[in-house]
Amino acid sequence: MSDAKPIRLLIAALGGEGGGVLAGWISNAAIASGHFGQRTSIPGVAQRTGATTYYLEILPRAEETDGKRGPVLALNAAPGEVDVMVASELLEAIRAIQAGYVSPDRTMLIASTGRVYTVDEKSAMGDGRLDVERMESVAKKFAKRALLANFAAAAAGAKSQLNAALLGAIAGSGVLPISVEAFRAAIQSEGKAVEANLRGFEAGLNLAASGGKNTAAEQGEAAPSSAKAESDTELETRAKQALPVVAAGIATEGVRRLVDYQGPEYAALYLDRLGRFAKPGADGRLIRELARHLAVRMSFEDTIRVAQLKIKEGRVVRLRSESKVRDQDIIDVTEFLKPGPEEIFSLLPPRLGRGVLRLVDRLGWSEKSFPMKVRTTRFGGFLRLKLLSMLRGWRPRTLRYAEEQAWIEQWLDLVERALAVDVDVAREVAETARLVKGYGETYKRGHANWNRIVREIVEPFLAGELPVAQFADAVLQSRLAALADPDGVRLGDVIDSVRALPAERRIAAE
Amino acid sequence: MAEVSFHSEIQSLRLGDGEIFHGEGILGVTKALLQSGVAYVGGYQGAPVTHLLDVLVQSGDILDELGIHLETCTSEAAAAAMLGASINYPLRGAVTWKSIVGTNVAADALSNLASAGVIGGALIIVGEDYGEGASVIQERTHAMALKSSLWLLDPRPELPSIVRMVEKGFELSEASNTPVILELRVRACHVFGAFEAKDNVAPRFSAKNRLAPAKFNYDRLSHPPVIFPQEIAKFEKRLPLARKFILEHKLNERLGPEHGDLGLIVQGGLFNALNSRLALAGLSDVYGGVQTPTLVLNVTHPLVPEEITGFCAGKRAVLLIEEGSPDFLEQAISQMLRKADLNTKLHGKDFLAMAGEYTPLVLGRGLSQFLAAYGKKNETLESWVGSVDARKAEVTKTLSTALPPRPPTFCTGCPERPVFSAMKILKKEMGPVHVAVDIGCHALATFPPFSQGNSILGYGMSLASAAAVSGTQENRPVSIMGDGGFWHNGMLTGVAGAVLNKDDSVLIVMNNGYSSATGQQDLPSSAPEDDGRGRGVDIEAAVKAIGVNWIKRVRTYGVANVVNTLREALNTPEEGLKVIIADGECQLARQRRIKPERARLSAAGKRVERQRFWVDPDVCTGDHSCIRLSGCPSLTVKPNEDPLRTDPVAHVNNDCVGCGLCGEVSHAAQLCPSFAEINVIENPSPWDRMRHKVSTTLIRWFGGARDEAPAPSMVPAE
Repeated sequence: MSDAKPIRLLIAALGGEGGGVLAGWISNAAIASGHFGQRTSIPGVAQRTGATTYYLEILPRAEETDGKRGPVLALNAAPGEVDVMVASELLEAIRAIQAGYVSPDRTMLIASTGRVYTVDEKSAMGDGRLDVERMESVAKKFAKRALLANFAAAAAGAKSQLNAALLGAIAGSGVLPISVEAFRAAIQSEGKAVEANLRGFEAGLNLAASGGKNTAAEQGEAAPSSAKAESDTELETRAKQALPVVAAGIATEGVRRLVDYQGPEYAALYLDRLGRFAKPGADGRLIRELARHLAVRMSFEDTIRVAQLKIKEGRVVRLRSESKVRDQDIIDVTEFLKPGPEEIFSLLPPRLGRGVLRLVDRLGWSEKSFPMKVRTTRFGGFLRLKLLSMLRGWRPRTLRYAEEQAWIEQWLDLVERALAVDVDVAREVAETARLVKGYGETYKRGHANWNRIVREIVEPFLAGELPVAQFADAVLQSRLAALADPDGVRLGDVIDSVRALPAERRIAAE
Repeated sequence: MAEVSFHSEIQSLRLGDGEIFHGEGILGVTKALLQSGVAYVGGYQGAPVTHLLDVLVQSGDILDELGIHLETCTSEAAAAAMLGASINYPLRGAVTWKSIVGTNVAADALSNLASAGVIGGALIIVGEDYGEGASVIQERTHAMALKSSLWLLDPRPELPSIVRMVEKGFELSEASNTPVILELRVRACHVFGAFEAKDNVAPRFSAKNRLAPAKFNYDRLSHPPVIFPQEIAKFEKRLPLARKFILEHKLNERLGPEHGDLGLIVQGGLFNALNSRLALAGLSDVYGGVQTPTLVLNVTHPLVPEEITGFCAGKRAVLLIEEGSPDFLEQAISQMLRKADLNTKLHGKDFLAMAGEYTPLVLGRGLSQFLAAYGKKNETLESWVGSVDARKAEVTKTLSTALPPRPPTFCTGCPERPVFSAMKILKKEMGPVHVAVDIGCHALATFPPFSQGNSILGYGMSLASAAAVSGTQENRPVSIMGDGGFWHNGMLTGVAGAVLNKDDSVLIVMNNGYSSATGQQDLPSSAPEDDGRGRGVDIEAAVKAIGVNWIKRVRTYGVANVVNTLREALNTPEEGLKVIIADGECQLARQRRIKPERARLSAAGKRVERQRFWVDPDVCTGDHSCIRLSGCPSLTVKPNEDPLRTDPVAHVNNDCVGCGLCGEVSHAAQLCPSFAEINVIENPSPWDRMRHKVSTTLIRWFGGARDEAPAPSMVPAE
């Protein structure tokens, strides 16, 4: 019996990323180096962006055959027996670890840390992204050696493809008995997009040599900000003096936002509102979060605001660079707008606006809306939005303004009452402001959820009808539930279970 | 034309005696067919055997030289019926499809073929779509072989063995007048290996050397009264001939020592997986040098009783490694042992899983239990099994959260996605409808973010599966069908059936121009091109001819129009079937065509426009409604740059092909004002430049920012 053991290599990738080509390069390089190489895969419908794997076994040349038969290599990876695990994406690396394909005593893990979010993650109503730091620490914990770097960014930086950069990483890590030159030759003999693939290969090779340290540009770090180092305005100084240090930064940002949004007086109102909480019992964290949410809610997205943002300075420059447009090319930007009656008539004064909206409702026109495509890079389109944005001075007289301010006061009152109970409770109540955001449907749904939580959870707790020890957690759970599905199913479940709390206690007491 | 180009592979189909073929398993089969003098080849595309046909479609020259007839069949039934040529003529023929589904569709023709028997070798190459990577219901082709008395080959998964079994398969078929199925699992189809090639052989009869029509011979018809003697012949004549051939040509292999008190019997296709577990246990090596007597069944039907009993005789126990259920081999071998009065203990599904893929872990666990039961406990194997379980538990604990799945999705800019966006928008307005799902890319709408569909009953079956639902619900049921499913059989089983029965139902036909899920093969309705097989047959005309009165055509990307049309279909007082033909070319195919052309024009300095979408990060509030209505891979999220907000904002990455869905959806669903379409004009004309200059100047006069890429300045920076 021979003692020879094949080297086993598993690649986890997403369909369409060229995992098959990568596997081909590796096995061709192995064969050209005199080894025996075999690869297989399970494409099929997973090739349409789904998670998939490619498996290779390489029997090094030194092992002579017994002359009668070639090697019998496996077509499936066995958990605990993979020597090299390559993953084109961080979550897929973790998936492979969970399936047992990475072992601390054996496996070299080469993974690109760039994220391609799953539909579950990106369609969440808030932030559904997995914790990258946690995933990276799991990757390091379970691998014998881990080469983690954003190979996707390195490939993009080299105007190449991820699979080529991963091949460079494999070559650079020296885990296979194949020379760097043999890998290069594999790309060359393939004869497709050779130049680009070699660029990606070198990028991966360099990244492996540097131990996986991406350049600043690849890490997506912003170049040092060229923000003007202006001295603080009076309001900003006031924010810094009146508020705890941890909250001052956010509050200063809030002041700037609101000065741009409406004017200094409005920003002063912001600081007055925050000032209500500069008292014993409130900690810096509470004030910081209040400062954050209050600034966002006070700069509510009415039609005037959208117009302001759409003609904001620096927008087209940014668009050009994001879309990789060459200097000599021209771009046109067409905005997709579709205001409904609420967005339009809430620009009227409160009494008139409400009257018109009631009429619209009676006529059954509330679902009507006006689809518009506005070219902001053409003068006509620009002018329409410019005129709209000039309504800024009128804003405090609008129905929308009145409604938003009323909501803010209601919310702040609740936080204040909650603070009388406990600062943790107050923080959770403050956080509920996250639910109110967006436009149209989203905005209405957010309001409805918020009102439901206040009515069914916050008020009963404040009234002492529910056990106060559960207050903060109940508000947190209901907020998370409100973001779990757009139909409010989960929220209903959470409310039911919270409302059942005192009943349980009574039964226990009896 | 298909998604994959086989330019270099085609060259290896020409290899001659002694040259080494390097390539994929399924292409090795293609080469083996040419070496076997095959006269005709056909089949229906589907993973994992698609490449067999795709490569031949692109190998017109080779086929012409050899005189081979190639048919891209409209269904597996058509492919199976094609084998009828071998009933009367000494023509070798091969057909291929995805199994079990394709074999089911082909079943009627296969039964008739098997009854009449063949004189020319008939080989059916099926991709056993079983286990990881499979996309169909999990059943065994073995059952079909048993019921029709077709022989079933399951070769060891390496190219020399696969190629030999193709060649021997034809001989076996001719020696026993029986069609033969060659079964290859997913990984065996895609394994890359090598074998020593032989010269291609031209068939004896072909378009180049025509034969005369067969004389009338009633015995060749599967029709009473000859069906009765045919059935008897299957078992009294053809079966013994097959068994004799299998033994004489040593199709099954005995490996390892001659004697031993334990033995292993394994399906050929599982041998490599078994060997790697034996090697771990120190009972074999990387060259397949097993230390335990092993019988490798490259033919799993029929079994040869004397071969089985000969192997089992004198052994205390035998472990049978048979993947999938029911345990046909175990039943058959048990019976053979009983009849031979052998008391060798037979193990199989008691140690190995009753159902599901035989992964290394399943095999290792079963083997370990088998060895332990006979006092040969293997510490290495046992501790490996234990450590795998322990590691999984540890990782799961460390992770503490479940990992989100990553099922396949519609490609970037897919023309089918907007239809499902429209259905989701309409659902809000009209409430839920029963959705009958079909096979094809559109079945990806069963995954998030669409998560819709009530049943899947097979290819082209959606409309038929909704027949009994129509008329029983508030809303009419909606059936989805691709152009592939329509031509496969949906037109007859679905449309004709619904017309005949006046079913009050809605059918959406996704007309993307190809059989897209399998790699963009041409269909009867595909646009006729020089190098393609499309014939431009009009689906609308076909549906009209069958008798549908309510037919609408929509451009899928026009979401508002799709919503309106679907609403009308669901509400119109018009009786009977309502058909919506949703037109939108497969974006993969489209991009493959236009991208190089556009790059060429742009490089040549010609004016080229391209579109893409963009989300304004200042306006987006991070609710992601847009993603819940799209799921496009290029519509994703990125961290919020706003220090005041933490929810990630929607973001369109540079893969965007500018299909326009984002804008349509934001309008149709009245989502938010974050979306903008960017129209990039490369190499602008003087007129473009002038218009642009006028606009930017006026904008600047009216207080707009100087929003241009800073011109390369000649003035040194300060």
